[in-house]
Amino acid sequence: MAAMTERISSVLARVPRGVYMALAVVLAAGFPLLNVIGVVETAWLRVGVMSLLFVMLALGLNIVMGETGLLNLGYIAFFAFGAYTTALLSSPKFELRWPFLAVVVVSTLIAMLAGFVIGLPTLRLRGDYLAIVTLAFGEIVRLTIINLQGFTNGPNGITGIYSPLLAGGSEVKTGLAAWLTVDKPIEYYYLVLVAVVVVSILLANLKNSRVGRAWNALREDELAAISSGITASRAKMLSVVLSAGIAGFAGSLYAYYSNVISPESFLFMQSVIVVCMVVLGGMGSIPGVVVGAIVLQALPQVIRQAAGAARSDFEVYRMLIFGVLIVVMVIFRPEGLLPDKLWRRESHEVDPRELEKTRQSLFDLEEGEKDLEV
Amino acid sequence: MTKGARMLHERTRKVLALALAAILAFGLFGTAGCTEDGEGDGGEATEGDVEIIKIGVQTALTGPLPDYGEAAKRGAELALEDFGTFEMDGKTYQVELVVLDDKAEPAESAVVAQTMVDEGVVGVIGSLTTGATLSAIPIYAENRIPQISGSVTGPKANAEGVDTFYRTCWSDAIQGEALAAWALELDAKKVVLMDDNGAYAVGLADVAEAALKAEGVETLRQNCQSGDKDLSAQVANVKEFGPDAIIFTGYHPEAGLMRKQMLEAGLADVIFMGGDGIKSAELIAQTGGVENAEGIYATFGGFPEDQQPGYEAFAAKYEEKYGDAVGPYAQNNYDAFGALIAAIKAAGSTDTEDIIAALRELEYEGVTGTFSFASEADGAVSVGDIVVAGLTPSNVPRYVVEGGEFVAVK
Repeated sequence: MAAMTERISSVLARVPRGVYMALAVVLAAGFPLLNVIGVVETAWLRVGVMSLLFVMLALGLNIVMGETGLLNLGYIAFFAFGAYTTALLSSPKFELRWPFLAVVVVSTLIAMLAGFVIGLPTLRLRGDYLAIVTLAFGEIVRLTIINLQGFTNGPNGITGIYSPLLAGGSEVKTGLAAWLTVDKPIEYYYLVLVAVVVVSILLANLKNSRVGRAWNALREDELAAISSGITASRAKMLSVVLSAGIAGFAGSLYAYYSNVISPESFLFMQSVIVVCMVVLGGMGSIPGVVVGAIVLQALPQVIRQAAGAARSDFEVYRMLIFGVLIVVMVIFRPEGLLPDKLWRRESHEVDPRELEKTRQSLFDLEEGEKDLEV
Repeated sequence: MTKGARMLHERTRKVLALALAAILAFGLFGTAGCTEDGEGDGGEATEGDVEIIKIGVQTALTGPLPDYGEAAKRGAELALEDFGTFEMDGKTYQVELVVLDDKAEPAESAVVAQTMVDEGVVGVIGSLTTGATLSAIPIYAENRIPQISGSVTGPKANAEGVDTFYRTCWSDAIQGEALAAWALELDAKKVVLMDDNGAYAVGLADVAEAALKAEGVETLRQNCQSGDKDLSAQVANVKEFGPDAIIFTGYHPEAGLMRKQMLEAGLADVIFMGGDGIKSAELIAQTGGVENAEGIYATFGGFPEDQQPGYEAFAAKYEEKYGDAVGPYAQNNYDAFGALIAAIKAAGSTDTEDIIAALRELEYEGVTGTFSFASEADGAVSVGDIVVAGLTPSNVPRYVVEGGEFVAVK
């Protein structure tokens, strides 16, 4: 049995990674077609859009948490920066309707700026202290949104956010312009999917670059990394700013998609959920984080639909089952669903016999060296 | 601990966790099965010419306000028993409820709204909270499905140009106007408006301030935070302004503190008023003593229960079915369901566009009183808001603290 699974996994490991990625993209791109032919209801497209947005958030948080090893408990604040910037630039609030691309770029930049500003004082902190400060930052942003009523309408939120026009700036509802207006769930799905694919490719390349290696080195041992010539402050700042930018990008798309944004979308709980996605998927592993985000976002809906099919009140218990599943998951697979190689090794207790063997061989080696010296 | 023991410990832990999960899961399936048996929904049989139509109930059964959500659901369930089967054009219609939980979260609410649309409901009761309702409104509006909330009181819940959102509870705007009218009756020439930066309080204060300014009253706006422990800065501002009255639109903890600190600053002559956020027995203690609370005025966003024509019968039915006191806004949700059915009957059709048109013409006699909905024709700012028959800003229920409790002002 064990030999069998080992053989299967070794065969699977030999398939090039590109094949898996292509397969995932094809699956994701094909999913809405199930709705078009009527197999799947439109609500699933909305679940899909939210899942993809959370994939982006989880990918962004993974940069700081998984790669650089900085815990951020206020990550949703950057999402809020992106969402509110978009809402202000493209809604009746200030009677602005900037072109889609400009809005997305500005929203991303504003979130990056926020990341830079919060990064300056906090990056000196480590571990628990950093977690507390980022948590406070998230709350400050949320409270500011509630109280800055002139800009944000406070708890009433900003309503009537315009749909993105992919071309032109007019409001023409006919011909090509109408065709290029994103306003149906399926159109949002593809828009966000493209964004997710672009972000993942970018991050996958970054992970294997000099910058990515520097982040990992800082995570493992900051002192050793600095001694090897890595400028810790610059590398950390880059990771914080980049992750903030990705959250801002996702926030911008969320504001467009949901038409309305209010402070209730940016609660501390949301930050925690994104952290869970990264941890459950597998810290530092891009495919893992993608899977983690989709599973955590879609699972409650799957349980709901299963309950709906049975026509029972079972729906109310979905969050409880969700919790039980997470607990079970953390006990049995602490390294995440699709873990990064390095993290997998860290998460499991090493078999003492194995350890003994390694120690013995190291000892032998040392002994050998001594012999040589003598 | 030996190595073996540690391994065993590890394994036991895992087995225990699995067992726990399994027990929980089975236990839940068991309970769910029971409720289903109890309800015994036999709606699937389409005998003869009985037609089944679906009505959605979007509420928050999990999340921060499950008690409110449950009460809303119960209100709709009771209404289903009373109005769920009806005749129209010689055909019998049977309503089937689709109850979905949105956790009072905006993102979840959008998915729930879309699920309602997919299910093909002819109308929706809900949602419970303003945030969740805001993100559902565009989806219902786009798919032309009428939505009636029994609990969203925020004056700005309805965006301009939306004609699918209705409510059967009083908008906060009604109380805002009532407070302004009361202050004018009391001959106030200078009024301070103070809110706690929350949606409810700001909405109320905005409406009252606009109404007072329109009558030429000089106003000053102040605010605090929910949870504040010291309001001396605000008290100093109030003292400098020298008003005849202060309208505090937040909740009782800060209202009590404000009153206490104002008395300490020698501002006993300033009339202290507020909305239903301060009309709580706890206010008395929070002012620091019975004598401090004496003479505080408050309005309330709904007729008292003994003035709601159908309340007694409703409460009896509710208590019989659930063995529980009537939950918040249950009767408003009951009325929402009743009004929706009345609109379907008036339209003589289950087409949602016809129902929306009928809702705007509808006058409905419900548990809470007789009401209709505001329409563009009346020049209403917020289409779909409840218009309570015979209600004017000056006969909104008024209370005053006398001898340590709120008594109705006749």
